[in-house]
Amino acid sequence: MIVDLPIVVFMIALLVAYGTTGLRRQAATVVMLLGAAWSLALLVDPATIIWAVGPLLATLLLPRPAERVPSTFEVLTRRVLTIAGLMLLALFLASRLAFGENPLLLNVVPWFLGAVGAAWVASPIDTRERVQGQVLMVGATGALLVAAVPAGVVTVALTGGTALVPVMAGRGLAAWRPLLSPLMLLGAAAAAVAAAIGLNIPALAVADFSVNLAGPVLVGLAVLLVAGAARAPLGSEWMALLGGVALVAPAPSLRWSAIAALVAAATALDRSGERPAWIAVGALATVPILPPLASPTWSARAQAVALAIGLVVMAYAARSGLLRVLALPAVGFLVLLAVGSLSPGNLTRFQWIAAVGALLLLTRTVITRLARSPVAILTDQLIVGLALLGLAARDGSGLGALAAVLLLIDVAIVRLDDFSGIAPRLVSWARSNWPGSITFAGGTLAVIAALQASLALGLLAALLLAGLQLAPLFDGPPQAPERPRSRMGWLAPALSFAFGVAPALMLRMLRL
Amino acid sequence: MPLAVQALLPLAVLLAAAALIGVLGRRANNGWVAFTATAAAAVIALIELLRLAPGEHVDVPYLTTFPFAALTIRLDGLSLAFVSVTLATAALSMLARQQDREDRRDPWMGWLLTSAAVCAVMLAANVLLLYILMQLLTLAWSGALDETARRRRGLRLALQIGDIGLLLAAAGAIQSVGTSSFSGVPSDTFGLASFSLMLLPVLVRLAALAWAARRPLASVAFGPAIAWLAPGAYLLLRVLALMGGRLPDRPSAVVLFGGGALAAIALGTAAIWGRSIAQVMALLVGAQAALALGLSSGSDPLLTIACTWLWLMLIPVAGLASLRMGPVGEAITLGLLTAIPGTVAFVGVWLSGLALNATGLLLGVIPVGLAVLACATAGLSRITMPRSWRVDISAVWAGVTLLIAAFPIMTINPFVIPAASTVRLVPRGTVSANPLGLTTPFGSWPALAVSLIVLVGLATIVWLRGPSGTLVPALPRPAAGRVRLSIRIPALSLPLWAHYIAWAALIVVVGVASVRP
Repeated sequence: MIVDLPIVVFMIALLVAYGTTGLRRQAATVVMLLGAAWSLALLVDPATIIWAVGPLLATLLLPRPAERVPSTFEVLTRRVLTIAGLMLLALFLASRLAFGENPLLLNVVPWFLGAVGAAWVASPIDTRERVQGQVLMVGATGALLVAAVPAGVVTVALTGGTALVPVMAGRGLAAWRPLLSPLMLLGAAAAAVAAAIGLNIPALAVADFSVNLAGPVLVGLAVLLVAGAARAPLGSEWMALLGGVALVAPAPSLRWSAIAALVAAATALDRSGERPAWIAVGALATVPILPPLASPTWSARAQAVALAIGLVVMAYAARSGLLRVLALPAVGFLVLLAVGSLSPGNLTRFQWIAAVGALLLLTRTVITRLARSPVAILTDQLIVGLALLGLAARDGSGLGALAAVLLLIDVAIVRLDDFSGIAPRLVSWARSNWPGSITFAGGTLAVIAALQASLALGLLAALLLAGLQLAPLFDGPPQAPERPRSRMGWLAPALSFAFGVAPALMLRMLRL
Repeated sequence: MPLAVQALLPLAVLLAAAALIGVLGRRANNGWVAFTATAAAAVIALIELLRLAPGEHVDVPYLTTFPFAALTIRLDGLSLAFVSVTLATAALSMLARQQDREDRRDPWMGWLLTSAAVCAVMLAANVLLLYILMQLLTLAWSGALDETARRRRGLRLALQIGDIGLLLAAAGAIQSVGTSSFSGVPSDTFGLASFSLMLLPVLVRLAALAWAARRPLASVAFGPAIAWLAPGAYLLLRVLALMGGRLPDRPSAVVLFGGGALAAIALGTAAIWGRSIAQVMALLVGAQAALALGLSSGSDPLLTIACTWLWLMLIPVAGLASLRMGPVGEAITLGLLTAIPGTVAFVGVWLSGLALNATGLLLGVIPVGLAVLACATAGLSRITMPRSWRVDISAVWAGVTLLIAAFPIMTINPFVIPAASTVRLVPRGTVSANPLGLTTPFGSWPALAVSLIVLVGLATIVWLRGPSGTLVPALPRPAAGRVRLSIRIPALSLPLWAHYIAWAALIVVVGVASVRP
C-alpha cells in the first residue's frame, strides 16, 4: 500500500495545481515534485531524494500569479486533451519499461512528471507555466535516468540541479559575461591544445561524480566553448557549459539532463524548433534507459533507432539560435561517442534513418520555399545533412567522424560569422565551398566516408555535395548575424582555414 | 638540388611571381614578370622531363596526412610533358596579351594563379588531390570567391559538379584498395562506373570549349586552352594510364569512339555555318578535341601515341585560337584548325588511321575522315589572302606550330612518346622520327614533303582566287538573328503541409529499420 502513496500524492497535487492559482498552485507543484522524489526513493535508494532539491528550488523561484488567467473553451479543451494524451503515453511507456519488479503505479510517477511538464510546455496557459513545464521536463529526464541507471549522491544532486537552468535562462547572467567569455575561450584553447598534443588526461573524480576527457570529448568541449563564447546570443554564453557538462559527464542521468536543460534554456530565448528539440531529447534520453529496462531482444535495435531519430530530429530543430549554436554540436558529439558501440546490423539501421533524415532536411527547405513561407537556409541544411551521413558512416579511418565534426563547426561557428566585417573576401572564402574552407574539407570527407559505408550512402552524399554547389543561388544573400559585430571576427575564418587546409589536425585531435 | 625542391620549382616560380605582383601592385611591367615566370616554369618542367629516363616515374611525398591523401608530387612523362606544353602556351598567351596596349585590365595575378593551379593539377599524385586541385583551378580561373557571382556562373557550377565524379572515383578506389595514389592503384581498380565518373570532368571541360564559342573573345582568352582543355586532356590520359591504357571493356570503347567522332563531325559541321571567325575557331577546337577523345578509346600503342600527340598539340592550337590576331596569324590558325595534311592535327589523324588499319578497324577511319572533312570545309571556306602581311606574335606562334607539323621530330621524341609511354607500354620502334617525317611499322608519314606540297598548293590557290576569294567556296550562312531556346519552368506552389510527406517517409523508414531483423 505504501508504494501507491506517491502516485496518490502526485495525482491529488496535479488536480490541485490545475484547479488553483497563486501560492496554492505553487505549493501543489512542490507536492507533485515531492511525490516524484518519494517514488524515486522507493524505486532506487532513499539517498536519491536529493534529486528533488533542484526542481523544488526552481519551482519556488517561479511564483504563480494570484489571478486566474482568462481562457477559452478551445484552450481548455486543448490543455485537457494534451495532458490526457501525454499521461496515457506515459502510462504505456511505464508499463513497457518497468524499473525492476516494482508495481506500475510506483513506476509511472516519474513518467507522469515528464508528461505534466510536456503538457505545460506544449500547451501553456502563460509563460510561467511554460517555464515550470520545462523545469518538470528537465527534472523528469533526470529522475527517469536516475531510476534506470542509478548513480551516486553527488551525481544525482547535480542531475536535479539542472532543473534550475530554465529559471536561470530567463534571468540571464549578464553581470558575469565580461569574465565568462574570455575564460571560456581560454578553456577552449587549453582543451584544443591538450587534444592536439595528445595529452592523456586521466578520468577525474570528485566523490561519485567523475569527468571523462577521453577521445573526442576534448574537441567537443573546445567547440562548444568557442561556439558559446563567440556565437551564442549576448548574455547566454554560459549555456555552453551545459553542453560541456553533457560531454564530460559519463553518468547518463547528468549527461542527458544537461542536454534537456540546454534545450530548455535555448528554447526559452527562441521558441523556433522547440517541439522537435524536445522530441529529440526524449529519443536520445531513451538510449541509456533501454538496456536496463527493455527486453534484450529488441533493446539494442531500439537504441540504434532512438539514437538516429534523436539526431535527425535535433538536426531538424536546430535552424537558428542556441539550438544551432550549442544543442546541435553537443548532440552531434554525444552521438559520435555512442555510434561507435553499435553493432554492424544496428549501424545499418542508423544509416538508413540518417540518410532519410538528410533528405528530410533537404525536402523541408525546398517545400517551404515552394510554399512561400519563411525558409531554412538550404546551404545549412545540406551541410547538416552531410554531417548526418558522416556520423552514420563510421569508417575505419575515422573520416566520417572527422567530416561530421568539421561540418558541425561550420554550422555552429563559421557560417554565423559577420559577413560585413573586415576582409570580406576572406570571410567569403571561409564560408564558401571552395578548397581551403572547412565546408569543402568536411563535404569531401563526408562523401569519401559515406562511400566506405555503402554505395547508396556515398551517392547520396555526392548528391548533397553537388547540391551544396548550387545552394548559394537558392539562398540569396547571407543573413544578418544573430549577434552584433565583435572583435572576434577573425575567429570564423581562422577556424575555417585551419581545419579546411589541414583537416588531419582535427583527426589527430579527435583521437579516435 | 634535392628532388623535393626540384619537383616544386615550377610551382614555386609561378607562386613567387604571383606574390611579387601582389606585393608590387598594379604596374606596367607585371606582364613581363608573369611571362618570364611562366616561361621559366615551362623550361624547368622541360628540363625535368628531359632528365627523366624512359618510363621512369618519381613520387615525391611532402606531407602524409592520411594513407590515401598524401600531399605528393608525381613526376613522369605524362605530367611533365603536359606541364611543359601548357605552361609554354600560357607564357605565349601572356606575351600576346602584353602586346595589347588597349586593354587596361591587369589579369596577371589571376593568370599566374591559374597557371600554378593547372601545374599543380598535372603534378598531383593521387586522385583525391587531383579533385581538390581541379576545384582550386576552377576557383583560380573564375576568381569567383563569391559563389553567387554571375560571371561564368553556369560553367563554373558545371565544372564544380562534374568534378564530383572524380571525388567519387577516388572514394571508390580508397574503398577498394585503400588508396587513390597513382602508384598504388592496380589497373583493374577502376571499372566502367568509375571510368564514367572520371570522364565527367573531362566532358564538361571539352563542352566548355564549344560553349565558349558563343562568347565574344577578349584580346586573349586564357581559360579555353589553359583552364579547360589542358586539364581535361591531362585528366583523360591520366585516367587511361591508371587503367593500363585501355578502357574497361569493348562496348565502352566503341561508345567513346563513336561519341567522340560524332561530336567532332557535329562541331565541324556547325563550324561551317559559324557566324564569326572566333566562333568558327572555337568550334573547330572543340571538334578536334572531340576527335582526340574518340581516338583515346583505342588500346593499341600507336593509337595511344596518336591521341597523345593530338591532345598535346591541341593545347597550343587552342591557345592560339583564343587570341585576337592579325590577318596572317588568323589565316595560318584557320589552316591549322582544318586538320588537313600539313597540320599538327593531321599527323595524329594519320597515325591513328595506321593504327586502326593495323588492328583491323579500317571502318573506323570513315567517321574520322568525315570529321576531318567537316573541319577542312569549315576552315578552308574562311581562309582568304591576308590584306596585311604584318607579322605579330600570333603569326609567329602559328608559324611555329606549322613547323612542328613539318618536323614532328621536334616534339614527338621529347614530349609525346614519354607521355604516351606513361599511359601504356609503348614498345621501342612503334614510332621513330626523323627530320623528314615519321616511320611506323605500318607505314610512314613524309611530314616535311607533305607540308611543303600543301603549303605551295594552298598558296597557289589563294593567289589564283584573288584577295577576296576563299580557298573553297563558302556555303550560304543563316541570317544574323540568333535563335534563342527558352524554357520556362512553371511556378510551382505547394501547401505547407506538404512537408509532412517527408516526415511520413522518415516514419516509414524508422518503422522498417525497427522491425528489420
